[in-house]
Amino acid sequence: MERKDVLVIGGGIAGIQASLDLAEMGIHVYLLESLPSIGGKMAQLDKTFPTNDCAI
Amino acid sequence: MKEKKTHEEGLRIGVFICDCGSNIAGHLDCAAVTEYASTLPGVVYAKENLYTCSEAGIGEIQKGIKEHNLNRVVVASCSPRTHQPLFQNSCAAAHLNPYLFEMVNIRDQCSWVHMGAREDATEKAKDLVRMGVSKAAFLEPQQDIEASLIPRVLVIGAGVAGLSATESLANMGLDVVLVEKEAQVGGLLRQIHRLSPHGEKAADRIAEMAASVQSKPNVTLYLSSRVEDIGGYIGNFDVAIRPEGGDAVHEKVGCLVVATGAIPLKPEGLYGYDGKSVITQMELEERLRAGDMPGERVVMIQCVGARSPEREFCARICCQTAVKNARFIKQENPNAHVYILYRDMQMYGAENEQMLWDARGEGVRFDVYSPDRPPKVEEGKVSFYRPLTGEVVEIPCDVVVLSTPLLPREDALALSQLLRVPVDQNGFFLEAHAKLRPLDFATDGIFVCGSARYPANVQEAVSQGLGASSRIATILFKDKLITSAIVAEIDPETCVGCMGCMEMCPYEAITYLPEKNICQVNTVLCKGCGCCAATCPSQSARLKGFKPEQLMAQIRAI
Amino acid sequence: MLDVGRHPNIELMAYSEVEQVAGDCGDFKVTVRRKARYVEEDRCTGCGACKEKCPTVLPDLFNEGLGTRKAIYSWFAQGIPSTHTIDPAHCRQLNGKKCGICQKVCQANAVNFDQKDRIVELNVGAIVVATGYKVFDPSRIPEYQYREIPNVITAIEFERLLSASGPTSGHLHRPADLLAEREIEELERQVSKSQKALDKFEEKYGQSSAAFYEAYQKGEYAGDEDRAKWAEKYVAHQAVLEPYEALKKEAEGFDVAKRLAFIQCVGSRDFRFYPFCSGFCCMHSIKEAIIANEHERETTSVIFGMDIRAVGKGFEEYKIRGGNQSGISYIRGRVAEITEGPHHNPVVTYEDTRERKVISRDFDLVILATACAPSDGVDRLAGTLGIELNRFGFFKTGTSQPMDTTRPGIFVCGCAHGPMDIPESVAQASGAAARAAQVVTDSQMRQAS
Repeated sequence: MERKDVLVIGGGIAGIQASLDLAEMGIHVYLLESLPSIGGKMAQLDKTFPTNDCAI
Repeated sequence: MKEKKTHEEGLRIGVFICDCGSNIAGHLDCAAVTEYASTLPGVVYAKENLYTCSEAGIGEIQKGIKEHNLNRVVVASCSPRTHQPLFQNSCAAAHLNPYLFEMVNIRDQCSWVHMGAREDATEKAKDLVRMGVSKAAFLEPQQDIEASLIPRVLVIGAGVAGLSATESLANMGLDVVLVEKEAQVGGLLRQIHRLSPHGEKAADRIAEMAASVQSKPNVTLYLSSRVEDIGGYIGNFDVAIRPEGGDAVHEKVGCLVVATGAIPLKPEGLYGYDGKSVITQMELEERLRAGDMPGERVVMIQCVGARSPEREFCARICCQTAVKNARFIKQENPNAHVYILYRDMQMYGAENEQMLWDARGEGVRFDVYSPDRPPKVEEGKVSFYRPLTGEVVEIPCDVVVLSTPLLPREDALALSQLLRVPVDQNGFFLEAHAKLRPLDFATDGIFVCGSARYPANVQEAVSQGLGASSRIATILFKDKLITSAIVAEIDPETCVGCMGCMEMCPYEAITYLPEKNICQVNTVLCKGCGCCAATCPSQSARLKGFKPEQLMAQIRAI
Repeated sequence: MLDVGRHPNIELMAYSEVEQVAGDCGDFKVTVRRKARYVEEDRCTGCGACKEKCPTVLPDLFNEGLGTRKAIYSWFAQGIPSTHTIDPAHCRQLNGKKCGICQKVCQANAVNFDQKDRIVELNVGAIVVATGYKVFDPSRIPEYQYREIPNVITAIEFERLLSASGPTSGHLHRPADLLAEREIEELERQVSKSQKALDKFEEKYGQSSAAFYEAYQKGEYAGDEDRAKWAEKYVAHQAVLEPYEALKKEAEGFDVAKRLAFIQCVGSRDFRFYPFCSGFCCMHSIKEAIIANEHERETTSVIFGMDIRAVGKGFEEYKIRGGNQSGISYIRGRVAEITEGPHHNPVVTYEDTRERKVISRDFDLVILATACAPSDGVDRLAGTLGIELNRFGFFKTGTSQPMDTTRPGIFVCGCAHGPMDIPESVAQASGAAARAAQVVTDSQMRQAS
């Protein structure tokens, strides 16, 4: 099936989830992130509510 | 080229020790570990690499397999979570069954935690490699499990969330079977007057969504119908749909969406609720739709039947509903006196907070009350203790509107049992993971969206419906479902049908066969967690790749 | 994150920016600038040998400046990609001074000082904007004295202090105490240096410096230049020794922060800055208070807010548990000002509206729950993409399709859309993926409706 690619701008949790969903659908994704690595604000968090499990 | 035969040829284990630059080699003697590995039983080839994950490293593995006729590969390097799939694929490319590969972690579990203890770390790495080689000797080739996928989805519930999911799935080219127990689509929205923040009529919104869904040739709509029975599993569900007064219809689908919504609490016995002068927000909506304004003096009380010892949760959308309706009343009649008595105004986010400010600007009055001294509703007035001034205040009023929580429907539990999915302590459907998988159930192929999951406003229900459609597309866009070969199997000869495994299984992957009195694993749903194998008193349940003899070999090797 | 890095259908371009967008829904032409890291991505294995040797020490922005990093660095240890990056503003080699140590120690031969930015052209059918948010700068609220009082910090700084992988390994050392520790280290260096100089004189003249100085002050050794130098050194030494010893004594009393104050709505629900509610900060503060109490059982927290918005699934129960089990109390009132008391303790002045009292109270540490503001550069990005912003400064979306921006084929999700927590961001992200998929799947190569 001829499918166009998708560009996701931002590699935080939302960008990561969108990219993974699209990739699993068989769509090629370009994931762009301005910082040297993905993870966004969530990577800076220690634990997250309400389950208190690790952010990473 | 056929995959290499294994057992007949005798063990030929290849061990690859990774330096990982200085991550491992900087803290233990990799050369010594490699030398040691070459002396282990079954090992015919041992090689040290700078970076096993690099192109060069992969090349070494494949060259090793070819030149030394390896039938087992052990890589001692980092965590399997980083590169195990890469190494497995490399083996497969060299025609060695990828499940004849074993990974040993001498980085996270050795060099990284024993920095500065070089000798001890080296000895430990040797132990770990010895364990890995011992287990590798018992590995068996496995085949990934394939299942077919029917590109069709059952959506249960044609409210906002269900309509949104249906529309999106259909737009993506999937067939949808939409089942609704009422005679029309729209769910709770049919009782709502106007929506916030822009004030559009709920009826218009339903009409728009219904028209879109009903115009699609790949959507089959069953109104006045209920789901009677569901069998099967991801990719292959068998559904029996019973239209009212008719014969059951059978449909085969690949995935399911639960979009059955919720209903507002009728607060019998609270605040003098009588459905006439003390009403719920939903009853107010119905009056407003009918053009029946509730009177000049309105008092709304928040958190009725919620955030209490009996029902702890906050139903999150009642505050925005109250503000929406309060503003509407004021806009229709600027002389109206509208009071909202609250504990916290839950106007989260940008749009909602703006509505709160606008409401204040339009003259809606807000007052905080204490849960330990709740308002008293009497004939023609509401009195309450105002902590901000320390006095009891009386507000004359014509009607009292109680903001009550949305609750799970009475038939939610029955549906959860039919689908074999869990509900939480409040009766709402329980998703696989509160944060990272809010729309998935732990059981593969079943999803949830809208107020069936937790009270949601229209925007949120639409977003979640779209989200569920995406989650389904990640499955049904594939030609077939391929799952890992690392699954459990139950020996039918020795199983006694005690069902201990079924109680442990988090994925509903085991079923009981009454005619044979044994349990059976659905290898498509099985995630290889091993709980059943650990529980089974007769060792009938065994996890491939982690069988007792494999694990015992590792333990004896220490 | 690892799944993203490994997925065959995802091409990850980190350290990159969108420069230009042309075309239309179904057929966008995007120009991307891949910034030079001066490290080759396909060679770097992330082993970290380079940064161990790099001589340039800088504040670590991932740790909100509470820790340090080098000029060659990885954003954080578990980052994907693990490729390191050279900060061109501070690298010695790139600024004309001789160095290049990183290149010498790199066993993968990955450092390349001649690397240039690359321009890449992409052709895509749809675009998903997931650019998140930025943390409000609380120094814009002068009465909170965020810059002046070291023990007044932001929520995200607190996260880094709480984090086992953070600059204090999860021990809640107060920033003022950390500064004092650094000063002690610096003074210790100076004391040790000046002591060595004094030792030399003492050996030469066979006399203790103290005894010598007493005699010197009485006028003995007048005209002796060498001994004059000794006297000078002695005075200088005392000038450093006294504050060193005083500070060391003070430091003996240092303890981890146990009495915490969380101030909600810093920059949010505020006419001066952002009128909106940032959605997750009430829960964020409760969580931080619970975790801090887990680390140290004696920790108590007071959360100052107007409405405590714990609205998500399981949140109200979490908030109640926090109150019952983790030493949290909730006070309804906005904080008027923060001042500094003895021992660098911040003093919070507030009105407790339920008790109708104005109170000043001191704490060990004050954490500001800062607003979730639109990211820097949204104006520019909106312009580049040809989409509009709403009145709050986030990307504007439609009513019937909440993830559609004002331009067909471009969608938004997560905090770029508006303040929201993780489950909502994840659900929205899947929703945006569905919308984007509709555009690019072959049966739907038309305008997204």
